[in-house]
Amino acid sequence: MELLLNDVVDPNDLKKFRVMYEDQSSRGVPSEKAQFEYSMCLVRSRPDVDVKHGIALLEDLFKRTRDTETKRDCLYYLALGNTRIKHYEEALKFTKLFLQIEPQNQQVQHIQKYVKNKMRNEGLAGMAIVGGAAIAVGGLIGLGVSLLKK
Amino acid sequence: MAAGPYNYSYIFKYIIIGDMGVGKSCLLHQFTEKKFMADCPHTIGVEFGTRIIEVSGQKIKLQIWDTAGQERFRAVTRSYYRGAAGALMVYDITRRSTYNHLSSWLTDARNLTNPNTVIFLIGNKSDLEAQRDVTYEEAKQFADENGLMFLECSAKTGDNVEDAFLDTAKKIYQNIQDGSLDLNAAESGVQHKPATPRTTLNTDQQPSDKGCAC
Repeated sequence: MELLLNDVVDPNDLKKFRVMYEDQSSRGVPSEKAQFEYSMCLVRSRPDVDVKHGIALLEDLFKRTRDTETKRDCLYYLALGNTRIKHYEEALKFTKLFLQIEPQNQQVQHIQKYVKNKMRNEGLAGMAIVGGAAIAVGGLIGLGVSLLKK
Repeated sequence: MAAGPYNYSYIFKYIIIGDMGVGKSCLLHQFTEKKFMADCPHTIGVEFGTRIIEVSGQKIKLQIWDTAGQERFRAVTRSYYRGAAGALMVYDITRRSTYNHLSSWLTDARNLTNPNTVIFLIGNKSDLEAQRDVTYEEAKQFADENGLMFLECSAKTGDNVEDAFLDTAKKIYQNIQDGSLDLNAAESGVQHKPATPRTTLNTDQQPSDKGCAC
């Protein structure tokens, strides 16, 4: 899963599909194909700003398309994109939606499992920080008390 | 399994290509999980699988990118061809159209991979003999003419699936041994992991990107 999430789009591909999309946009509503291809590149780009742009294009495409396959593919890339930028709550929203329609889909199950693990681990890490701070504060109070006693 | 930094000495990158519905993901699943996945949904973009195998006493990690067969993904899946050491090109023996499209898949594979990439042709669904639409002989001739390795397999029964993946690895390994595959070349699709001393404290199982090719 890590490898799939760290997989980065070829800069030439990103450029090629951006040009195609922008060219169509300048002349009216871009085709679903152009929008889909460009957003697939964006969510696999490294800068978060690209991924976010890709997510916005996918959400727009999801709303406007009537093709169920396209909707399905948008949901998948919305889950993947949000996972890449660590928007785990959002990612889970999309994996849940997807799995309601196709409960056995392994690709989406893998993302969901990964996200849940991350959330649990980061939750634990958060607690460890809070716990560590509590110990430190406790130690300072202890030090203060011992100093006062002197 | 925390068996040390690397429990393999090479990584080979594979791609699986071919028309939609020929059973690419099922072949991968059969190879990595030893199970048949009935009702396999269409792959979205790419899926990924790994398995460690052994060739001539060397542990090799196969890193397998399973590409979506649908045309709508063709634009993005092409980028995964680069740097593949092995390409499994799959058709369905019960659907002639999937066989007829092989030349276009082969053109992509040849144009987008390096000259040393081992291309293995797989005729899948060999269990469905009664519905056969492409003879073994015909496909074998196509493979020979184009210098491809070839087997008919069944992702359902598992027949020949191991052989296809392993024979590809053996051929790649052979190319390394006889020097025709240069590990220093960019995009060879092979990373060498020199034996790492077990004393290292680094327990991170993720291999680094830079393998020494010494």
